[in-house]
Amino acid sequence: MTKSPNRLLGVVFGAVYLLVGVLGFFFTNGVGLFATEGGLLLGIFEVNPFHNVAHLLIGAALLFAGLANVKAARTTNTIIGAAYLLLGVLGLFILDSALNILALNGADNVLHFASAAVLLAVGLGADKSARTATV
Amino acid sequence: MSQITRTWLAFAAVGTALIHLALVVSSPLPVGIVLTLVGLTELVWGVAAMAGTRLLAPRIALAGAVVPIILWSIVLLVAVESSDSAVAEPLRFLPLAIAALLELFAAGVLAVHIRRENSGERAAPVAPSAGKYLLGLFVGAVVVAGLTTPALAATEAGQYAQPHGQHGVVDDGGHNGH
Repeated sequence: MTKSPNRLLGVVFGAVYLLVGVLGFFFTNGVGLFATEGGLLLGIFEVNPFHNVAHLLIGAALLFAGLANVKAARTTNTIIGAAYLLLGVLGLFILDSALNILALNGADNVLHFASAAVLLAVGLGADKSARTATV
Repeated sequence: MSQITRTWLAFAAVGTALIHLALVVSSPLPVGIVLTLVGLTELVWGVAAMAGTRLLAPRIALAGAVVPIILWSIVLLVAVESSDSAVAEPLRFLPLAIAALLELFAAGVLAVHIRRENSGERAAPVAPSAGKYLLGLFVGAVVVAGLTTPALAATEAGQYAQPHGQHGVVDDGGHNGH
């Protein structure tokens, strides 16, 4: 697994996002599920309960795919990378609006763009020679 | 060129592409067309650099990285000399300054790469370990995202959700009582 960048990324990012999802709930006491303003995780990244759930789901998907095999990891990394890119762009438009049901702030947008970049770069660019589904 | 460097180049190209595309909506039509073409080209080149194993047309890419900076510099000079802010207003300073920074980085890396090719250094790049590769990518992604995101937020497209203060030179006739 440590030889495949996609599997390694999936496991590491997956674990981190799972942890972030759990930690987020410590900062969203009393915050509505889709509240447009939430708590600040680590004092920087704004989250609400819906955002935390999203982190848990994304983390789980990345982790399980990373633990499974290269093909699953590549596919999942690429799809979630594309989703994060879309979310990054959307996030710019919905800040400070009623549509901000993830309680995004500027720091969230930076992190989402950066995550998208890494996930897409590795999903599209790494493990090209791996043809077998089990590595 | 190492895989990490090539991916950093790709990040810079995609970041610049997003900035150029975000400026289209606030620009007069001819400028908007140029920005769209430039942005789409940068986006395609960046994704190809990310997904492929080699850079596409590095010499043309080098020119493509430098020309927008020169064009923007000319526009700024004209705006300053003519004291007419309407010339440069649609092209906001912060986004294009950050785009210029990314383009300069790309130009520098491409120039070194071309010089190495010309001098006959054909050694195949050593593939980094998976951990080193991921760390390199993460650092590059955070830097580029940290620059690109505020640049995008500073464009009119990025300020769409907030109350409109004023429009630039553009009047596309499509706004109705907002």
